[in-house]
Amino acid sequence: MHRYAFTSLSDGQISAALSKVAATGPASVSPLSDALAGQTIRIVTDKDGPALVYRFTGNGRLTLSENGGKAIEAGYGALVQDHLTLFTHLMPGTLRGYGVVIDNATGIATVIEMWFGGYQDKREVMRAIYAGYVEQAGKPPPDARHIATNRFEGKGFYWKQDTGYETLDYYPSVAYSHFVELTGRGDEPGFCGPSDYLQISEDFYIVTRTECEFSGTFTLYLVDLNRQEQIGLRLGFDRTDALEYYLFRGKGEWLGQIAQFEKLGDTSGGALPDPENGGKGARRVYRPLTTMPKMSKAEVAAAVARNSRVFAPRTGAGSGAAGMATHGTPPIDRLAGKRFTIRYDGGPVMDYQVESADRLRWRKDGGAWVDARYNAWEPMPGVFLFGHLLEDAPDHDGHSIVADFDNGLVTCFNGFLNTPFIANEAGARTLFGVIEGAGIPNPGALRHERTRDMLGRAITWNYAPNLSSMHLYSTPTTVSWIIFTDSGAGGMEWSGPGDFVKIRDGLYFLYWLEEACNGTLGTIVLNMRTMHDAGIGYHCGTEGLSMSQVGAHARHAGLFDVQRFFPTKKG
Amino acid sequence: MSDDREATRRAFLKGGAVLAAPLAMTMPATAIAADDRIARLQRLEDEVAIRALHQDWLRRVNSRDADRARLSATARAGGCLDGALCGVTSAPDVQGDRVEIAADGKRAVGRFRCVIETESRIAPDSTLAQMALAQGGGVIRAQAVRLVRADYVKAGDRWAIADIALHEA
Repeated sequence: MHRYAFTSLSDGQISAALSKVAATGPASVSPLSDALAGQTIRIVTDKDGPALVYRFTGNGRLTLSENGGKAIEAGYGALVQDHLTLFTHLMPGTLRGYGVVIDNATGIATVIEMWFGGYQDKREVMRAIYAGYVEQAGKPPPDARHIATNRFEGKGFYWKQDTGYETLDYYPSVAYSHFVELTGRGDEPGFCGPSDYLQISEDFYIVTRTECEFSGTFTLYLVDLNRQEQIGLRLGFDRTDALEYYLFRGKGEWLGQIAQFEKLGDTSGGALPDPENGGKGARRVYRPLTTMPKMSKAEVAAAVARNSRVFAPRTGAGSGAAGMATHGTPPIDRLAGKRFTIRYDGGPVMDYQVESADRLRWRKDGGAWVDARYNAWEPMPGVFLFGHLLEDAPDHDGHSIVADFDNGLVTCFNGFLNTPFIANEAGARTLFGVIEGAGIPNPGALRHERTRDMLGRAITWNYAPNLSSMHLYSTPTTVSWIIFTDSGAGGMEWSGPGDFVKIRDGLYFLYWLEEACNGTLGTIVLNMRTMHDAGIGYHCGTEGLSMSQVGAHARHAGLFDVQRFFPTKKG
Repeated sequence: MSDDREATRRAFLKGGAVLAAPLAMTMPATAIAADDRIARLQRLEDEVAIRALHQDWLRRVNSRDADRARLSATARAGGCLDGALCGVTSAPDVQGDRVEIAADGKRAVGRFRCVIETESRIAPDSTLAQMALAQGGGVIRAQAVRLVRADYVKAGDRWAIADIALHEA
């Protein structure tokens, strides 16, 4: 999805598509409810929210008066889950619509106004959420409301809609969610979108997701936690620019609950402050593809020639931070004096002469020797992580290498630039091989192997004071990262491709690629016993090319049970 | 357990009474002694006023009251602290706090041990940092004990801050 160029839709295109369904209401595979037919209700909302008078006339039709204005007619659809009703309709002649959740037991209602009018592209659905209630004659208004909460944070669900659409939905944040589409090819990575979480009761929650930076589609659903069911609506334009506007029922499977890091007793939601001077529905949305500097191949070449830095203090937007090494362990000098050869399967033969703690000589495939600066760490006795740039390589390669000298095995994450999409965005290939040298055992046909051991795990990383994140290894090829707020809540989230290699029991070499998001390649050796890592970042931006240390203290936040959704391919 | 850390009007008068007793037995010095008591009382009142001014300044700094400049004699004195400073409180151990009033009674220097809190934004030089800033965070908070040194001037019957700066404690 990061690579899909969604069409920019005009008001006219959107309006034309909406006009066809505004009169009929949403589609639905499941039978719609007629529970509202014949009713007239007045919904009062707090603060600046609207007052809505609905008259449901039957046959899926309603009239609506907003704030005492002239009534309009529209088609609607409704679904009922236990004591909750969800209905939705569009406003004919506009780019707007509503989704409304009514708790029939309490009279509490939540109104979600939806409109096409996104950040830069109108196809992105915006939303504003109003808390309120259904006015009941002779009864005082209820005091309670459906409230923003962190009580949904840390959960994960497999969902299958009545449309057949299947997803894994991870909720590691109070402001974002991460979803993996299982329908289709089945090997899609996961993606992230801003989300809302409102608590109705201990059993029921309202969840939203907007696919910002992608199609802009908005999804709203009620989750019945104990029954593992959902009812919801979806509004937006798909990849072919076809309008999706439908209600759905879904059945789910609970995948687990990972840890939360707010202070005990803190159940508040809305952890991200609203943007200053934001308009209706404004919220903080991470738009990395929009904001990252995009460079041409020539610009990359010039930047690399101008400034390449290997394990040097760095500054500049996107260059990776010295802060990300604050909790790293110091580089070591135990490779100094070693002479060895690395033979990668289907890849280069690299000869090394390590001169000192930070200088080595390398040659590729028997070519000329090249001096290079490097740094090394020993995350487990006998296992070394070291990295260096391959000067003059046409794609400005960098090697991040884990060498197990006790077993003669090596794995390299080979970063490179000039990818087909954005030249300064790193690509990565994984190379497996052997080490040859004095006293190094011959592993024969053994190699490090890709692993599913990390799949579904969430690991927090504290790089420096006030610089913490959490990784979520959501698919065999996806790393999602969540940024904590000051209160310890999960905040903004993004994701990119990843790879996972088992080095030894409890020791894993993995990378994440900040695809469509600064383009950094992060590589770390994670020691699950010490809960520490040794890592190397590889990044190119307008300030040049850099290779730098990454290091953080880790905590195991939990494990989602998702192995069964990713069967190992045979043959 | 007594608490004699702070010079108060009562403490001064108590001490003054002790000093006054022998003076009272040597009558020719009565007028001089009276003048001395008046001067010492004035100095004590000045010290109390300066300490109150310092407390007012602390309160305004902590409430981020831009109006704290009104406590200062000059604009420079009103805005001389680091912009990263977001809070100053008296250190638990205030025995070292001192107010020294010049002989002319027009100038004074105050030294107060304080705990300062600073806030600074992290540099946006990694994706993680950029995301933290984008979500309204990325603020590093720190605490340290510092010595607040303030120069005061008296204009009419009112004390004002002429200069104020933080130093290593």
